[in-house]
Amino acid sequence: MNDRVTAETLIRSRSLWGDALRRMWRRPDQRICLLVILLFTVAALWGEFVFWRYRLRDETPPYNRVDMTRAYHPPSPWARPFDRAAEALGPEAGRWAIVRKGLSNLLEHPLGTDNLGRDVAQRLVQGARIAFQVGIITSLIAIPIGVILGLIAGYFGGRVDDVIVWIYSTVASMPGLLFILAIAMVAGKGLKGVYLGIGLMTWTGLCRLIRAEVIKHRERPYVMAARTLGAGPFRIMFRHILPNVFHLVIISFSLRFPSAIGTEVFMSFLGIGVQGEPSWGIMISNARLRLWHGMWWEMTAVTAAVFLVVLAFNLAGDGLRDALDPRLRTGESP
Amino acid sequence: MLIYILRRLLQLVPILFGVLVLTFILFNVAGGSPAALMLGKNVSARQLEEFDEQRGFNKPLFFGWWTSTRAYETRRDTPFPLAWRTVEGARLEDDRVRIEQAAEVPMAFAPRAGLVLRWSLRYRTEGRYRLAWTDAAGPHQHDLPPALDEGLFSVTIRSGGEGQEGRLRFEPLSDHEPPLEILRLTLERRMTSPWDSQFVHFLGRLFRLDFGESMATGQPVLQMMREGIGPSLLLMVPIFFGELLLAVTLALFCAWFRNRWPDRLIVVASVLLMSVNYLVWIVMGQYWLAFRWNWFPVWGFESWRYLLLPWLIGLFSGLGGSVRFYRTVMLDEMYRDYVRTAFAKGLPLHAVLFRHVLRNAMIPIITQSVMALPFLYTGSLLLESFFGIPGLGYLSVNALNSLDVDVVRAVVVIGTVLYVLANLVSDLCYALVDPRVRLK
Repeated sequence: MNDRVTAETLIRSRSLWGDALRRMWRRPDQRICLLVILLFTVAALWGEFVFWRYRLRDETPPYNRVDMTRAYHPPSPWARPFDRAAEALGPEAGRWAIVRKGLSNLLEHPLGTDNLGRDVAQRLVQGARIAFQVGIITSLIAIPIGVILGLIAGYFGGRVDDVIVWIYSTVASMPGLLFILAIAMVAGKGLKGVYLGIGLMTWTGLCRLIRAEVIKHRERPYVMAARTLGAGPFRIMFRHILPNVFHLVIISFSLRFPSAIGTEVFMSFLGIGVQGEPSWGIMISNARLRLWHGMWWEMTAVTAAVFLVVLAFNLAGDGLRDALDPRLRTGESP
Repeated sequence: MLIYILRRLLQLVPILFGVLVLTFILFNVAGGSPAALMLGKNVSARQLEEFDEQRGFNKPLFFGWWTSTRAYETRRDTPFPLAWRTVEGARLEDDRVRIEQAAEVPMAFAPRAGLVLRWSLRYRTEGRYRLAWTDAAGPHQHDLPPALDEGLFSVTIRSGGEGQEGRLRFEPLSDHEPPLEILRLTLERRMTSPWDSQFVHFLGRLFRLDFGESMATGQPVLQMMREGIGPSLLLMVPIFFGELLLAVTLALFCAWFRNRWPDRLIVVASVLLMSVNYLVWIVMGQYWLAFRWNWFPVWGFESWRYLLLPWLIGLFSGLGGSVRFYRTVMLDEMYRDYVRTAFAKGLPLHAVLFRHVLRNAMIPIITQSVMALPFLYTGSLLLESFFGIPGLGYLSVNALNSLDVDVVRAVVVIGTVLYVLANLVSDLCYALVDPRVRLK
C-alpha cells in the first residue's frame, strides 16, 4: 500500500519535459551534447554581458581593439609560453616565477590573435552571442507565426484553412535562401535584415505540422468536453490543444537553431549580416584571407566552434525528438 | 492523367499569384522607394522622379485614381526639400515652413501638359492669406481661411504644360499678417485609369519577359541571365545527379546492414558531415586541395578541370543530410508487411531491396530531389562566387552586394516560378510512380 503511493507520486511528479530531459541525460552522447549547448549558452550570455558593459561605458570593447604590436600571435600553447617566460625573466629567476609567468602567458591569448591584434577567443565568444541572438530572435518571429496560423487553420477549417494553406504554400514555394537574401537587402544591412529574412521565411514547416496535428486533435474527446463546457474557440486552441502539440514547437526550435546559425554565418560572410561586431561569418571571411599567410588558428577556432554547436544541436534535436515524439521522422527538418 | 495534370495546373494559379504578390510587396512596397535605394541619398527629386517615371514606380501600388509625386520632396525622410531655403519670404524649420511675405513654392519638376494635379495643403495661421495659381483655364485665387489648429485645403487643376503653370503662390492680404505655417504640402497626379498601377505594370513586364537593365553593367538583365544559366547548369547538374545516386546507394547500403556497424558508421559520418558549415567546406577545399596540394585549379572557368573541385565540394556538403533522409525513408519501408511477405517467400535480400523497397521509397526520393531542382538554377551562390564561375549565383551575389535591385528581382522571380513548376513536376512524377495518387 505504502509502496504504491510512493510510486504514484513518483510518476506524477515527472512532467513531460522533465521526463524528456531525463531520458536524454541518461544517454552519454546526449549528455555531452547538452553540456556543449550549455557551454555555448554560457559563452553567449557572457558575450552579451561584455558587450553591454563596454557599450554602457562607451568604450571600445577589447575584442574590437586594434593593436598591431600584438598581431599574428599564434595560440598560446603553440607560442612556447614557458620558454618565453624563462627568456623574459632571465637566468636567475626562480622556478615558480617562471611557471607563474608561463601560465599567465598561456592564458593571455589562448586562441591567438588575428591580423589586427584582436584576441580570437574573445571574438569567438562575441560570435556565439550573435549566433544565439539570431537563433532565438528568428525563432521568436517564426514560431508564433507558425503556431498561431497552424492552430487557426487546423481548428476552424473551411475558408480560413484554405486561405492559410494558400499563404503557407506560397511562402514555402519560394526559394528560401534567395528570398532571405533579398529581404535582407531590402531591409538594409545589419542584423535586422537577417532576423526578418530568416524569421519570415522559415515558419511554414512548423505551421504545416501544427495544422495537421490540430486537425487530429479537433475531434478528440477532451476537446469535445471543453466545448461542451462552453469554452470559446481561442480558449480551446491555446489552453487545451496547444499544450498537447507543444512538443512540435520544441523540436522545431531545436532543428531551426543550427540552420539559423548556418544561414547567419553565410549572410555575415557575404557582408549583409551584423556590421562592426565580430560574428562567426565575419571571422571566417577575415580568416580566409589570412589563411594564405599562414594564420591557421582563427579559421580552425571558428570552424570548430560552428561545427561543435551545430553538431550538438543536431544530435540533441534527434534525441529530443526520440524522447518526445518517436513517430516523427528523422531528417524532416522544418 | 490529363485531367490530373489540368487540375494540378489550376491549383498552381493561386500559388503563382501569391508568389508574385509577395515578390512585388518585397521589392516595391517594403523596401521603400527603389529609386532612393538605387540612386542613393544625394540626388535631386527630379532625378528620382525621372527614374520612377522610366520604371513605372510613379503609379499607384495596386489600384487607385491618385498617385503621389515628389514635387515637394527630395528624399522620403524629409518633409520639405532644401530648395525651400532659397525662397524669399519662406523660412524652413524642422518639420514646417513658415511664410511671412509673398512666396512662390518651388517645384521639383514642371508638370506635363494635360495632367490633372491635386494639391493638398495642411496649414496653420492666425492671419489671412491668399493662394494664387494658374492652370490651363487661366489664373485663379482663393482666400485661405485662418486656422488656429489645423486647416486643410485642396485644389484640383489641369496643367497647361508651360512650366509656370501649376505653381502655387502664397500672398498675405495685408502687410502685417501673422505668419503662415505649412505643415504638409503634397501634389498628387490623377491616373487615366485606376488599373494603371505598379502591380499591373510589374505583371505586364513579367509577361513580356522584360526585366529591365542592370544598374552596374547597363546590360539587359535577361541577357545576363541567359549567359549565366549555362555555367550554373554545368556546375549543378553533375552535383545533383551525383549526390542523388551516391546518397540513395549509401541509404540502400544502410538498409542492407541495418543496425549493424556499417550502418552505424554511415549514420555517424553523415551527422558529422551535416554539421560542417558550407563555407568551411569551400575554404578548406580551396586551401588544401587546390592551393597546398595543387590537385585542382584554384579559381576560374576555363576548362572542365576548373569544375572538378566545386563538383566535389558540392557533392560532399549535401551528402550528409540526404543520406540520413533516404536512410530513414528506406528503413520506414523495411518494416512494412510487404517486405516481410517478400522475405517469407524466400526472396534474397538484394531482390527485396531493389525490386520492392526502392520502388516504394520512390515518392519521398522524388520529392526530395525535385525540390532541389530550382537550386540547379540559382547555382550555388557560394560555390560560384568562390570559384569564379560566371553563373547565376555569381551574378546574384554581385547584384546583392551592389544593390542592383533589378537583377535581384529577376533572379528571385524566375527562381520562384521555377520552384513552383518543380512542385508540379514532382506531383506529376508521383502520379507516374504511384497510380493511386491520380485517383484521389
